This record gives sequence, structure tokens and C-alpha cells, in this order.
Amino acid sequence: MNLVPLSIGFGLVTASVLALASLGLTLQFGVTNYVNFAYGAFLTLGAYLVWQINSGWGVNFLVAALLAALCMGVFAVVAERVVMRPFTRRGSALFFLLIVTFGLSLVLDNLIQAIWGPEYQTFSLPSPGPLHLGPFLLTSYQLIVIGVAVAVMVAIHVLLTQTTVGKAMRAMSDDSVLASISGIDIERITMLTWFLSGFLAGIAGIALAVTTVSFVPAFGDGFLFIIFAAVILGGIGQPYGAMLGALVIGVATEVSAVVIPAQYKGVVAFAILVIVLLLRPQGLIATRGKA
Amino acid sequence: MLLPPIIYEIATLAVFFCIYNVMTWGLNIQFGAVGILNFTYITFMAIGAYVAAVLSLPPQTPGTGVTYVLGLNWPFPLPMIMGGLAAGALGFVVGLVALKRLRSDYLAIVTLAVGSIIYTIVGNYTQLFSGWDGVVGVPEPINNWINLDLNTYEIFYVAVVLAVMLVAWFFTRRLFASPLGRTMRAVREDADVAEAFGKNTFRIRMLAMVLGCAYAGVAGALLVGYTGAFSPDGWTVGETFVIWAVLLVGGRGNIVGTMLGCFLIVVVFVEGTRFLPTGFLNPNLVATLRNMVIGGLLILTLRFRPEGILPERRRRYTEIRRASPTAVGAGAN
Amino acid sequence: MYHSFGGLQAVDGCSFTISRGSLAAVIGPNGAGKSTMVNVVSGALARQRGRVRFDGSDISGWAPHQIALRGLIRTFQISREFGGMTVLENLLVTAPDQRGEQLWNALFRPGLGRRQDRELVSRALDVLDTFDLFALRNEYARTLSGGQKRLLELARAVMAEPKLLLLDEPMAGVNPALIDRLGRHIQRLNEQGITFVLIEHNLEVVERICDHVVVMAVGKTLATGRMAELRRNPEVVTAYLGGELLERATG
Repeated sequence: MNLVPLSIGFGLVTASVLALASLGLTLQFGVTNYVNFAYGAFLTLGAYLVWQINSGWGVNFLVAALLAALCMGVFAVVAERVVMRPFTRRGSALFFLLIVTFGLSLVLDNLIQAIWGPEYQTFSLPSPGPLHLGPFLLTSYQLIVIGVAVAVMVAIHVLLTQTTVGKAMRAMSDDSVLASISGIDIERITMLTWFLSGFLAGIAGIALAVTTVSFVPAFGDGFLFIIFAAVILGGIGQPYGAMLGALVIGVATEVSAVVIPAQYKGVVAFAILVIVLLLRPQGLIATRGKA
Repeated sequence: MLLPPIIYEIATLAVFFCIYNVMTWGLNIQFGAVGILNFTYITFMAIGAYVAAVLSLPPQTPGTGVTYVLGLNWPFPLPMIMGGLAAGALGFVVGLVALKRLRSDYLAIVTLAVGSIIYTIVGNYTQLFSGWDGVVGVPEPINNWINLDLNTYEIFYVAVVLAVMLVAWFFTRRLFASPLGRTMRAVREDADVAEAFGKNTFRIRMLAMVLGCAYAGVAGALLVGYTGAFSPDGWTVGETFVIWAVLLVGGRGNIVGTMLGCFLIVVVFVEGTRFLPTGFLNPNLVATLRNMVIGGLLILTLRFRPEGILPERRRRYTEIRRASPTAVGAGAN
Repeated sequence: MYHSFGGLQAVDGCSFTISRGSLAAVIGPNGAGKSTMVNVVSGALARQRGRVRFDGSDISGWAPHQIALRGLIRTFQISREFGGMTVLENLLVTAPDQRGEQLWNALFRPGLGRRQDRELVSRALDVLDTFDLFALRNEYARTLSGGQKRLLELARAVMAEPKLLLLDEPMAGVNPALIDRLGRHIQRLNEQGITFVLIEHNLEVVERICDHVVVMAVGKTLATGRMAELRRNPEVVTAYLGGELLERATG
């Protein structure tokens, strides 16, 4: 079996998880214009909620996943309203929000640890069999993850191009001043964007937990900077850029494992981030005035 | 000579107080003065600790059977200085990548990423840093000359860190009071305008980054000299947080404010609770709750008193007017 | 010859020259590319074609701080004072060539910075005096009123020892009494040797104090000359589409 196509297969899985996560982050950034450093904790919380609902209360896994993602959507909206809104309303400097979201991530991580403990958890799912698909060797779960990611990307595309909400989001992302004058309900769109961001984070967290098999309270944060790499590579605030960035980073990190030890996959993502920041900081799809 | 245990407890608190002061002053230079968001400040402390440890270890530590590659066994204060330089150098490299962009988020993101990466590399690269187990058996600074027993040494070490802290205080005050400190604050207030008035904002930020990281490195070296061991466990995001909390609660841009914040958070809160009986709560939970409270305290401080307990001092200048037709009063303020 | 300029993107085929010592203005309807031009000249924006020459040097592509050190200082449309610093400090910061800004000097030779500061403080206080801001010298700049902030902007720019001051809409949103004062300050400073280029919409002020006017429209230079002649220039009048210019010409 040639290793490279195999790793490309794995790369697609990672890219799928990344795409889900990156979309949530970049859409929220586009509308609110600040980075949510608690996003990693959102992923973690999503995974733990599923664990609680599924393994803890015996609800069917898929239902649990949907419920957890919806909860995360609501949670994100509440978090924004309670924690971040006081600062955005005051027009505080950017760094306040960044520190605050950073603080929120600490609180959430520790809250998760306090509730569920620091040990490794796994979902109680039956072991999947490996499937040979051309040159790829993937489990059915991994295929489902890829499928979900593709479905979500299509859904987002439809949302952004066909619906009023989606177009409003794009307008706010491009030029928030113009958007507010043209009668867009900023409050409502912001709230919906946060819901979507939390929802996607939830799904991404679940997908990540499924594909890495076991998870721990800090695992979302460990993944966070890879999400940043994908988002910045694609162009911060650009959903299609995020998808592209996720694909590149996902495949690159997995293929690199053919030549370098697997623990250093993160270093590859980091190297790409550094190169992007040095050569083209606005990313592949640039937005004027954002980077 | 064995003193009552309370003395040793106070000595420990004093040591941590001094070390955290130095660390937080470094972050104060980066964020308080220039406005740089370094979310992985602890990594620079860790680098300082590792470098200092590795340089001060002898080839064979008796009793542990562990051999280190370098085995240089350098005397104090060389390992500490090298720790500071190493951390500063890393800060330089990180700054080159991230400081060209004017957005705060990008630097924050890069520092976070750097932290993750270095954590991974150090944990996995066993030849130099002995992996996740960390370094142990680091000899006490200066003790090979004067040979004190371990108990007296603890008291002695307070004097060592206090001396370093006073030196740091001296230079930090000078920096903040100098024209450079003033220009740094201008860059913090409005970098574009500072640039439009001829200030090389990139150079200013790099200076703050490197200096601040060097402080962290020195503090890390002092810490490892005291605890004798250092492993990646002691180096979590939570630790960076404590320093941010000290800075923001105490007062950013205010050197004495940092000391106050340090006393409140480090001595009372972090170290003080270590001494609490953990009979009814498992120790893990205490640490978790503590982190949550610090996080919450940070958010609340930013919400209700963002400048901190002791805000940045308003600077007044001695006013001596040269010959001027409309001179109004000459005198110091 | 001071300041000439070539073409670039949003500004397309704009070219003009400002002579040393003049009090010039660049006017034009909204969207003419004036702000873009300012950003390009001061180095904040990269240019695509053309050159910018200043005081005998080609400064095209220079970084903003290098251009400022050369003597070309610009201000911004909205008052951007250093809010968290006192009024006096706002002026002290902008003074060029401060020995105390070198790290070595700051840490090991503080006397240098202190000595130079004494000179700078004296000069700054004099400048504050002429702008009637002396009483506010130890107040935080963010506490100043809008009009005071405008004066501070100008005072701060003066401390930077500019050869040419490029003012981006200095009179925008300013009450008439203050416009008068600002105008007189500018004239006084011009007499003392500073070349001025004002980007302005307030044509009355421009007519009163400027000796040379450049009109921009759709990114190009339309005409140059004295205000009186420009009012009679049909192209210029059309560019303003029956606005203030036309009113004056007919009324």
C-alpha cells in the first residue's frame, strides 16, 4: 500500500474536521471583527456534552450529537451576550475582547475538568470496520465525518448565497458601517452568527473526538491553533477561504507524517501559518481592511 | 539549625513573590507599555528555566543515574543570564514573524501557536530536554561555593531572588520613565500616528518583546534554581493566566501595581491556598476551582476596573521655561 | 521644488508640484481621491506608478516613519491624539532625534534623556502657550474638547519640526470661531517657514489663506492656480456640479 494516498485519505478526514471548525470561527470573525479565543473550549464542550447525553444518559449517538450541537449554539449566543457584549457595547479596544475570550477559555476548560474530570474519555461506539475506497483506507466513521463536512459546506454556501440572513452576514462582514445604514438588523444577525458559530464548533468538536478516539479537557485548545492556521491561510473572515485553508492544512499535515514523526504534525501547520504571515498575511482570499 | 516551619513557608512565598514580580514586569513592558498581546508568556519562562537547568547540570547527577548531554555545570549567575538571553532570542524570532502586522489578534494567535509547538517539541525531543519527565536534580545556585545545608539555603535563596528583583525594579523604572518609555506608550495608544511622527513602531515593539521575554527567562531560571526540577506539566496556559491576572488586577503600566497584584494573587491566592488543608476537597479540584476564579476575576476586572487597582501614573515634568515672552511661572511640579 | 506626485490606482494620473514655503491646498469633490493621495504621499499606502519627490529626494516607497523623519509630517482626518497620555507628553513624543529613545541610553545613561527632556519641555510649553493649551498641559489628552483636540493635533505636528505639513481636512467639523484661529495659526507657522498642504472642503478658508490651489477630480489633477482663477475655470466648476463654487461665481 502506497503511504501517500493513504495519508491523503487521512488528510481529507482532518480537513473535514478542520473545515467544520474553521467555518464557525471565520464566519463569527467576519461579522464581529474579533477572534474568539474560547473557540477551542467550545469544541471541547461540544464533545463532552455528547458524551454526557450519549454515554451518560443513554440517548442515541446521532440524536445526542445534534442536541449537543444545538446546545453549543445557544451557549455561544449566551456567552456573547453575557461575557462579550458589555465590552463591544462600550466600544472597548480590541485587546480587551481578546483577553476576555482568553479568560473565558480558561474558565470553561476548568469547568469541564471540574465536572467531568481530567481523565481521557471515549465515546461508547461500536468499533468501525475499515473500508477500502480506491487508494484510501478509512473507517465508516471517518467517511461519515467527511460526508457531514461536505454537507455543511454546501449548506453554508446555500445560506450565504440564497438566503437573506446569509447575504446580511456577508454584507456585515464586508462593510459593517454600510450594512448598518442599509437597514440590516445588526443585533439579530450577530446573534444568529454566534449561534451558527457555536453549532459548528459543537459538530467539529464531536467530529474531532470521534476521529481521535479519545479526548481530554484540553483537546479543543490543542487543536485551536491549527484552526487558526487554516483560517488565516484562507483569509480571515472568508468562508470559502476557510474551506480551502482547511483542505490544504489537513492534507499537508497528514502527508507530512510520511516523512516526519507523527507527533510533529502540529509543527507543519505552524510552519504553514508562519509562512503565510510572512509572505501573504491577508491569506488566499483577502478582505480589504481586515488583515 | 532548624527554624520553625512558618519561616520556611514565608520564605517560599517570598521567593515566589519575587520571581512572579520579575515575570509580570516583563509582561508589563510588553502589554502595559507597548500593548503587545503575548498569550504564551509562560513558554519564555519555561525556555529560561530549561536553558538554565541544562547549563548548570553536571555530567552525572549523583543518585539519579541520569546523564545530560551538556553537563556544563556552570555557576550562578551564568545559567540565569543565558536563560534570559535564550528567552529573549526566542522572543526576537517570534516578534519577527508576528509584529509586522498591526493587528493584536495576529500576535496573540502566533504566540498561542508558538506555545503549543514548543511544548510539543520539548516534550517529544528527549535528547536535550529529557521529554515529558523534565529535568531533575538541578543544583542550587551558589551553593557549591558556600555549601549551606538545605534549610538555611532556602532562606539564603530569598536574598538571591530579592537581589535580582531589585535590579529588575531599578531598570524597569528607568525604562518607564525614559523617553523610550514615553514613545512606547505612544505606540500603544496609536501605532499609526506614532509611525506618522517618525517612530519606527516595529523596532519599538521588538524591543518590548525581547526585553519582556528576557525577564521571563530570568524568572524561569530563578524558579528552576529553587525547585530543582522542571517539567512540561508546570507550564500550562493556566500559568500564563496567573501572570496576566497579576498584571491586569494590579494595574497595567504601573510597576508598583504589579507588586500589589503579585501579592494579592500569587501570595494570597495561589500559594496561600496551597497551604490550606485539602482534606475534604481533592487537590485537583482545588486547582481547577482556583483557575476558574482567576479567570473570572480577570474578566470582572476588565469589566469594572480595567486600569487595575493602581492605574498608570500620570507623568509630570519639571517645567523650566527658557526666555519666552509669555513665560508663565517657572518651577518644578 | 518640494513635493511632486505621479499616478496610481484610486488616484490616476494625478500630478502636481508644491513649492517650498507655500501655503497650498488640494480641493475637489468627494471621491476625488484626495485622502488616497495623502496616504500614498505619506507612505501609508503603496503606490503603483509614479514618483513622490520631496526636498530633493525620491521618497516613493519609503516607510511612513522614514518619510516623517525627512520632514514631511501628516495629520489625520479625525483627531487622533494619544488619549492615555497628557497633553504635554503628546508634544514631547513627536520631537525628533531623542537620544533617550535608544535602549542603551534609556537603561544606562538616563541623564541624556533627562537633559534633552528639559529642552523639549521648554519648547513644548512655548508651543502650548501659543496655542492657548498651556493650562491643559497635564490633562489626559482624551479629556479635551473637540476643538482643543484639533489645536493639539497642530501643536503636536509643530513639535515634530516639519518642513512640510500635510493636513488632512483640518477644518472638518470645526466651529467657525475655531476655524478662524486655526487659519491664523497656520498662516503664522507658514510665515515662520513651514510649507503647508491642506486637504480641504472649506473653500472660504482656502481662498482666504492659500496662495496655491490644486483641484483634484476622479483621481486626476484638474487644474492648479489661485482660487480666484479657478472659480472661473469651467472644468472646475463642472466638477463641483453647481456646489459652493458656482454659488460664489454667480453670487
